[in-house]
Amino acid sequence: MDQKIVLTGIARAKGKASGEALVNRQRMGWAFNHVGNEDGIVLVPGADIQGKSIIGKVVVYPTVLGSTTGSISLYYKCTQSHHGPAAIICQTVHPIDISGTIAGGIPAVDSLDQDPITTIKSGDWVEIDAPKVGQKATVTITRKA
Amino acid sequence: MTMKLTKHQQEMLDGKLGEAKRFCMEKLVDFGEAVDSKEMVDLVLVLNCCPIYSKDRQHAETKKKLEMYDLGHSPLYDPIFAMKDAHVADESGTQCGNDPYLAQFDKVEEKGYPWNFELPGKGSYKIDGEMVTDLKAGYDKLQEHGWLPWMSCQPQVNTCIPKMGEYCASSESSAAAYINTILGARTNRESPINTVYAAYTGCLPKYGSHLDENRAAKCIVELDDETRDNMKGAADWAALGACIAEKALNRIPAVLNLPSKMGPTATKQIVSACSPGMNDPMMHLMGYTPESPTLEAAFKGNMPKNPERFTITMDDIVEMFRHINNIMPAPGPERAKPVDIVIFGCPVATFEEVREVARLVKGKKVKEGVMLWVQTDTPNYHMAHEYGDAKIIEDAGGKIFHQTCMCMNPVRHYPQGITIATDSFKYVKLGGGFGMSWIFGNPPALVNAAITGVFTPSARWDYWAKPQKERLASEKERPLYSKPFMD
Repeated sequence: MDQKIVLTGIARAKGKASGEALVNRQRMGWAFNHVGNEDGIVLVPGADIQGKSIIGKVVVYPTVLGSTTGSISLYYKCTQSHHGPAAIICQTVHPIDISGTIAGGIPAVDSLDQDPITTIKSGDWVEIDAPKVGQKATVTITRKA
Repeated sequence: MTMKLTKHQQEMLDGKLGEAKRFCMEKLVDFGEAVDSKEMVDLVLVLNCCPIYSKDRQHAETKKKLEMYDLGHSPLYDPIFAMKDAHVADESGTQCGNDPYLAQFDKVEEKGYPWNFELPGKGSYKIDGEMVTDLKAGYDKLQEHGWLPWMSCQPQVNTCIPKMGEYCASSESSAAAYINTILGARTNRESPINTVYAAYTGCLPKYGSHLDENRAAKCIVELDDETRDNMKGAADWAALGACIAEKALNRIPAVLNLPSKMGPTATKQIVSACSPGMNDPMMHLMGYTPESPTLEAAFKGNMPKNPERFTITMDDIVEMFRHINNIMPAPGPERAKPVDIVIFGCPVATFEEVREVARLVKGKKVKEGVMLWVQTDTPNYHMAHEYGDAKIIEDAGGKIFHQTCMCMNPVRHYPQGITIATDSFKYVKLGGGFGMSWIFGNPPALVNAAITGVFTPSARWDYWAKPQKERLASEKERPLYSKPFMD
């Protein structure tokens, strides 16, 4: 039987989204030298998800790393090139990524009641319901048996 | 809404002061809610990147080019550019300006620069003309709106100097670190989305590094005396900054036992390591940081009895040089690695750095097929022309330029397999994934590489790279840093 885990956290950017989880244990950024604007492929040397496509995925990572341009590149991937993630989940969503997700129109959630890095596994199906910024958000994880 | 607005801010939000201000205030209030901000701060400086203002972004050919040249920020300006009443600095007095971008406008067609060059046998790169035209259209529109033509990542050193306690919004990390650490004004490493909206309103939600509690030191990093006395070249300072960031493990450090005279290059190089090394753009450099006259002040009154303490030794510095040189290691023999490009000025070169390169290269010739590039800001570019330094660099076959930065070009489209030598930690970190190899060294060794075509470690490096015990045994033979400031 499929395993279901429900976590609650705080919405940093609002929205509803679902997608396959992609978990990166290292801090990461969204600048175009970290994740390609034209193809959504992770370029960061040594990242767990290096070489993987983030398009339509729920990307889970601790917090930001590197350039402030991560925010505009995330916005660009979500709204212009359409090679962006479905949502992000962090231990702490850094303000650089908060502004990128708000402008990109995708939800961002942090402060979950369990550590998302260890609780969520790559390949899990994740549904996010984050109706209002600063308020409670629900993250439902479904793991295939 | 939980944020408390002043009457003026509320009027902007209500649309009483025009469409552009309402549009931007709505975006800022949304962000403020997300970061639990209680109020807005008034800004004295906004630093952001100019958009490439293409009329039809969806046109297939233009779209392809934009994906190559645009950082992703340009479409954010489109709705504002469509509004008739958009203007910055009008009531707020906030000074707004831009980072460097694609090219020096009056030399776009000239060869031998980061936007237009050929490396014999390796390939060439030339910037797209349509993108330059559209970037120029972006600058023209910004000038119309009251933005200032800084085209520098370091306007805070000479063009718009914020004072202690003032608020800024810098999307340039190295400028942010300098503003907080050296000037005592307050800025986050601001998202370049927020800086667009902050420019047109002159305000920004108060959060992050604006707040005392997020500026407090969390640990102590101390240089040993040998390190304090032997930091000399721009790369030394950058490596020291990187070591501080590494030891502090993404926490704000209070740094002790710094040299008593750190000039503009030293401070710039140290704090710019914050950007690739740390999330908070803040160090308490004791003896320099204005808001931290004492350790107690650096810890904002909450200094633990035994704060965590780390020491930096010359071995750490040497190890950091090795690490940076191994991120994308250059091929070739250890003592003669071929170089294609030697570049100075990330962040943009101080006049001190321009002059150092000029004195090192004076009367010599850059090897054919090798590029020697010095990028600086507009004031220093013109000073270098006024006082002869630019001529010396150009007579030797090098280039000096302003308004642009090599890494604001799409360097991933540079010829593949080339080697670039620099004294910038930030460049190696930012350019690490783009297919070129990097050498990190001090200016004398870099200029020597431009002249000979191969990078050879200096005698000074050979000395410091020895284990400490052997070093001490040969103390009398310690080579000096060759800083030929005297003609």
